[in-house]
Amino acid sequence: MDIAVLIEWIAKSAILIFILLTGFAYTTYYERRLLALIQNRVGPNRAGPFGLLQPVADGVKLIFKEELTPAGAYKAIFLLSPILTMVPALVIMAVVPWGESINLFGREIFLGLTDINVGVLYLLSIASISVYGIVLAGWSSNNKYAMLGGIRSSAQMISYELALGLAFVPSIMMAGSLSLLDIVRQQGDGFYLWSLLGIIEGGQTGGWFIFTIPGLFGAAIFYIAMLAEVNRAPFDMPEAEQELTAGYHTEYSGMKFALFFMGEYIKMIAVSAIFSTLFLGGFSGPGVYESTIPFMGITIGPWPILGPIYLGLKIVASLGLMIWIRATFPRLRYDRLMGFGWKVLLPLALANVFLTAIWVIIFQGFTG
Amino acid sequence: MSTDVILFLGLAAVAIGAALGMLFSRNAVYSALFLILNFATVAVFYLLLGAPFIAMAQVTVYAGAIMVLFLFVIMLLGAEELRKRGKLGWQQPLALLLGFVLVAETAYLVFVRGDLVSQIVPAAADYGTPKDIGILLFDNYMLPFQVVAVLLLVAMIGAIVLTKDDRKIERKTSEEKA
Amino acid sequence: MFLTLLPEITLVVLAFVVLTTDLALDRQSRAFLPYLTAAGMLLAVIFTIVFALPGDKPQLIFGGMLRHDWLTFVFRLVFLFGALATVLFSAGWERVARRGEYYVLIITSTLGMMLMGASADLVMLFLAIETTSIPLYILAGFITEDDKSTESGFKYLLFGAMTTAIMLYGFSMLYGFSGSTNLYWIAGALMSGELPFISMMGTVILVMAGFAFKVSMVPFHFWAPDVYEGSPTPIAGFLSTASKAAGFAVIIRVLLTAFPLEAFGGVDWTMMMAIAAALTMSVGNLIALAQTNIKRLLAYSSVAHAGYILMGIAAASELGGLSVVFYIIVYLVTNLAAFGVVAVAERTLGSNDLEAYDGLSRRSPALALVLLISLLSLAGVPPMGGFIAKVLVFAAAVEANMVWLAVVGILNAIVGLYYYLIVLKRVYLFRSEEEDKPVPIPRPSAVALTVCLIAILVFGTIIAPWFDYSGIAAGALF
Repeated sequence: MDIAVLIEWIAKSAILIFILLTGFAYTTYYERRLLALIQNRVGPNRAGPFGLLQPVADGVKLIFKEELTPAGAYKAIFLLSPILTMVPALVIMAVVPWGESINLFGREIFLGLTDINVGVLYLLSIASISVYGIVLAGWSSNNKYAMLGGIRSSAQMISYELALGLAFVPSIMMAGSLSLLDIVRQQGDGFYLWSLLGIIEGGQTGGWFIFTIPGLFGAAIFYIAMLAEVNRAPFDMPEAEQELTAGYHTEYSGMKFALFFMGEYIKMIAVSAIFSTLFLGGFSGPGVYESTIPFMGITIGPWPILGPIYLGLKIVASLGLMIWIRATFPRLRYDRLMGFGWKVLLPLALANVFLTAIWVIIFQGFTG
Repeated sequence: MSTDVILFLGLAAVAIGAALGMLFSRNAVYSALFLILNFATVAVFYLLLGAPFIAMAQVTVYAGAIMVLFLFVIMLLGAEELRKRGKLGWQQPLALLLGFVLVAETAYLVFVRGDLVSQIVPAAADYGTPKDIGILLFDNYMLPFQVVAVLLLVAMIGAIVLTKDDRKIERKTSEEKA
Repeated sequence: MFLTLLPEITLVVLAFVVLTTDLALDRQSRAFLPYLTAAGMLLAVIFTIVFALPGDKPQLIFGGMLRHDWLTFVFRLVFLFGALATVLFSAGWERVARRGEYYVLIITSTLGMMLMGASADLVMLFLAIETTSIPLYILAGFITEDDKSTESGFKYLLFGAMTTAIMLYGFSMLYGFSGSTNLYWIAGALMSGELPFISMMGTVILVMAGFAFKVSMVPFHFWAPDVYEGSPTPIAGFLSTASKAAGFAVIIRVLLTAFPLEAFGGVDWTMMMAIAAALTMSVGNLIALAQTNIKRLLAYSSVAHAGYILMGIAAASELGGLSVVFYIIVYLVTNLAAFGVVAVAERTLGSNDLEAYDGLSRRSPALALVLLISLLSLAGVPPMGGFIAKVLVFAAAVEANMVWLAVVGILNAIVGLYYYLIVLKRVYLFRSEEEDKPVPIPRPSAVALTVCLIAILVFGTIIAPWFDYSGIAAGALF
């Protein structure tokens, strides 16, 4: 194997993990500040200017906390489960493209770890194994609250995974590919006004999929299911403080707790990135590809380096929406949550698949 | 040795180790976890063989869906700890013998009668893409595909029929009437 | 191409119709469901005869998944008839009569059997077997408040899963040896003669394990008595006739097409099947002698009959194939009638013990008559259909130079006659204290029993047309 390729991969992985970890730290800050804003409070503002060093202070605090392992816990699994929560959250980002290739040090470098032809399936398979960390944490803690939290979360994640998987389908069908890069390319640069309406030009739908009818339904279903997948309010059943103290991580402290915390926030970032890629045009935006500004006739681009910036902005917006939802909605009752997943969301997602098929035939015709 | 072979041998060791671990651990949850590890390793084998679609299906369906349900049931039943000595009796030596026969058979085929295996042609790079699989599924294998749908529906109906407690429902309705 | 599949499509539609009608109806009007099911199945029969007649040449359809020939056609009618009679018997069997799911399961199981009879590809074959078996597992354990029924369903499931796994392993070997899942391709690959004898024979044994379970061939017969005893009686009849017929349909097709005799040098599977046949009928008949429960007795008798049918398969000739098809048709109507009588009698007698049958002829002469005819036909007494069927399988064995097998068969027939006559003795000669209480026959059961009765007598007296049809059907294999 070419050594240069190997170095490139390692470097890209390291950068990605660095971005995600920093992203995690500042997502907590973002959440606390935004929640404070919504609730008419101030929020953390002591450490550094505007409280910007607050995440660092939190990290230091967690490192120096005492590590506890409950008596009667299954030690090996108790240690393993924070890792099992963390790793899927990191590796799921491997197939999300951050941009087209750029030229750097005389090499063609693709912005993003890899692009595989089963990218969407990869997302689904990682999502399906990410439940283990939580279940095992609950089981190995030898604590009833933790156990209940673990079982609740596994039931919840399995149930909403179905709707989540079906919500992928509109994007796959409209792009005609399982590769995330193809899905982004199909959505064009999101620049033209008419592409916003999903009007076809030359047999192709340009424009973000969220601006097509099945895409809009798909995005709504995806967003709801994804909140349940990452156990965010109003679906934060596994860690409902009032009922289960802290749910599956009741017995965790110190850095092991920090890993769960990290896993949860990185998952938030990851699903936001996936949501943006599937429905909001991913890394594309004005100027990423060579494009003409409407009514002015000025040609700009291609500047692929803009890709990561656009994707980052979309992720920030999606995270903001999540926090807003947390601040707005009360938690669902557990049986209502399961009923909603199976009886409402899943049938709607299935119906949406049919709708997409009709849509694709009307606007794209039979292909293949 | 090429990278592929090194990778294969490493993975094979993991897969066999996981399988053995599954057999010999006395705790059902550990067994299930070893099985998950085994499934995941097999998925990587599929990747090495150039079948990413099946690899992903393997992880999603087996490691993801089925094993989660296994774990779920084990935990809910509280059946983690197995008895020290199972009532296997004569089955154990028989199983060992049969296992040995299988290994001997495979060894014979691989090392002595290697000529039986025709030359293996490596799969083309685009072999087994989702598109190809989809076309095959809706063309040649259309009928089996549909039959699977009926089969799954029937299995679902059956599960509901067998677990639904009729007496409870009737009691409930009679209470409502009263 | 879709017209040839119209009967199956009808069944799928019927299953959905029954399932949704069941939801819409209240408890009282659900008594209409068996008639709806029966009507739909009759429609499927009509479609089979009108639209799905095979041509002169057998064709492989749906990408080689199915083979459309006269064997497929005949077995389709066999399965549909078995299901139809089962549904009619169920209509009078209170514990299941009004359960929509029950009929849906029968319909899908029949669908699976029809596909089993037509499969020409291992993938299709496996799915068809599962589509047949899974509803049957559930049906056997359908009466959840009855421990015996639950036990029966569970036993059936465990045995079934085990043998299916072995069979699937055999399938994987077949695929490995030939590089194809199509039975006709596999035959070609095996004929090339590069495979050692032991691997071919091993594969035959592995594959046969799954099929042997379906037809309750020794040593895979242990489940039959327990399952028949515990499951709802109409289902026991269904298991012993249609399900068994489906197993035989698969056995003759797979053995004769995928494992051609020419591929084996000298010793081939015919010897194995002959030994299995001799064992199956001897074990079945001898254990049947000791039974005191009529369902268990009929279970062992049906094991024995599997042995007779296997004789025709062991012959591996055109006459053998013909005799198998003929035997299955006759056995279907005969055994359905016998189990139908048990299902009807069970309602009033409240028991399946042989003692309960004392003096049945005085309580219901019609029922006793049906039992007489069907048991005599099972025993192989002229002028019932069973006699001709037995003569044909014995002839096939003799023609294939297996005179010893024919002798074993004849000895077994004598043993069989003995225990059938014991039952009849109780019915006609014994007296009981409850003779003044009549045994009513529900209307749908009466219809089904009459049809079976007429069929038994017709098969035994007017032989030529059925002989010809069986010949045409079996001819599709050679």
